[in-house]
Amino acid sequence: MNYLPKLKQINDKYRMFHAMTPDTESDAKFLFSAKDNLTSIDMETCAGSRILGGYRPAFDATAIAKLRDAGGKLIGKTNMDEFGFGTFSTNSGWEIPRNPHDLERACGGSSGGSACAASALEGHVSLGVSTGGSICCPASFCGVYGIAPTYGRVSRYGLIDYGNSLDKIGVLSSDARDLRRYMDVIKGKDPKDPTSCVQPDGWGEASLKSVAVPKEGIEGLSKDVESAFRKFADEMVRMGVDVDYVDMPSLKYAMPAYYVLATSEASTNLARYVGMRYGQQEGDLSLKFDDYFSSFRSKYFGDEAKRRILLGTFTRMAGYSDRYYAKARQVRNVVINDYKRVLADHDAVLAPTMPFTAPRFDEISKMSALDSYKADYLTVPANLAGTPHMSLPCGYDPNGMPVGMQFVADHWNEGVLFDIAERWQSEFELKRPEVSV
Amino acid sequence: MDRATVERVARAAHITLTEEELERYSRDLEEILTYFELLDDAPENAERGINPIEIADVLRDDEPRMDIDPDVLLRDMNTYEGYVRGPRLS
Repeated sequence: MNYLPKLKQINDKYRMFHAMTPDTESDAKFLFSAKDNLTSIDMETCAGSRILGGYRPAFDATAIAKLRDAGGKLIGKTNMDEFGFGTFSTNSGWEIPRNPHDLERACGGSSGGSACAASALEGHVSLGVSTGGSICCPASFCGVYGIAPTYGRVSRYGLIDYGNSLDKIGVLSSDARDLRRYMDVIKGKDPKDPTSCVQPDGWGEASLKSVAVPKEGIEGLSKDVESAFRKFADEMVRMGVDVDYVDMPSLKYAMPAYYVLATSEASTNLARYVGMRYGQQEGDLSLKFDDYFSSFRSKYFGDEAKRRILLGTFTRMAGYSDRYYAKARQVRNVVINDYKRVLADHDAVLAPTMPFTAPRFDEISKMSALDSYKADYLTVPANLAGTPHMSLPCGYDPNGMPVGMQFVADHWNEGVLFDIAERWQSEFELKRPEVSV
Repeated sequence: MDRATVERVARAAHITLTEEELERYSRDLEEILTYFELLDDAPENAERGINPIEIADVLRDDEPRMDIDPDVLLRDMNTYEGYVRGPRLS
């Protein structure tokens, strides 16, 4: 289906794109979109923030350049939480994407626009970025497949940093086969990102035979998600996968450790946005530099960006950094070792992706910041550990909203994730949303 | 977190807060930091560095090259005679 002629009308309804192509036809091999924190030469790049309004990058992010080189056409930059700071894509300085299965509900975050595009547009693939769950969460809420690979698998050159030790670029699509197909294109060593240069060739183990379910990963679920999980676990057994239940006691520490590290790194990364060089630059140059910088940051950063900058600045301050930042780094190692211990005997760790299905916008508006952070408790551990993880759609709740299951594999072992996604797709009937404009 | 600490942190981060923001962030951060007390009881392990995977140094040949035309880089910046414009230092 050529959806380009109707792209503007589609976007008016679902608001997945911050910027998009004006073209109405294309002879490209495939069409793709990219989260708006990946730089693109031909489209404005704002990372969901007003402070970057008007920013026109001089170079493509490596992942975008590779997809273009493979014959792809970039058709849009997708809406997101500001700099990736959110679970529902509602913390955007621009537009908030609407869930294609119910316009009154969120797409999830922070790659919400990418999941929305992957769900609503037929034959479409979208690049997302995950720092604490920002690919799997929206994939789960929008009912698509989404993979965040091992930290370092895809070059971060051209990615507008949130947390350097956590950010990972991955793929979302309604077709499970696209995960392998496009990860094959965007992976690889890039001298412009040294963290990409230690990766091995290949995707590791080829087939998934066993999974471990952490007891801590099936606590606190909504009734619908718990029921979907039980059914899915039975399906795994029927498909010949061994399902064991295990303890992973470190998981309860992952959420605070993640938020300390992520906000610490974010608060330093965002120090560069001061009304010079990028985006908004129309200020009063007669001000002293402290006042000039503060005037931009106070005016253009959104509510959650300010909250995370304050939190991350505090946890790095003299007198507090040992208790928070240094401790969080140590806890990350404990979580990694817990995964290594379990994955020595199993091919993947399995749990629901999110504890509930996509909430309505009015429900989200009643949540506190901490409520929102706590909702990430299932996706944060794998992100903290840098281990590859994937969400696949497994069913629908009584409202017709998708439920997602998350598989976590060992470092550099994405092969088992591709395998189970492709096998599952042949068993599962995906319900595409009805896209009418 | 008390208001004085929030004000001090905000000043370090170059953010000017309104009275309403001061109240709200003080309340929010207090709630968040109370939850973070969970970390006090967490086990410790120092076997890795700052990244979740082992990273090796990657060096390239020290050869000058021009990846991006400086004029293109300056295109959207506020400049004066090729220099980036900024506020006065004192």
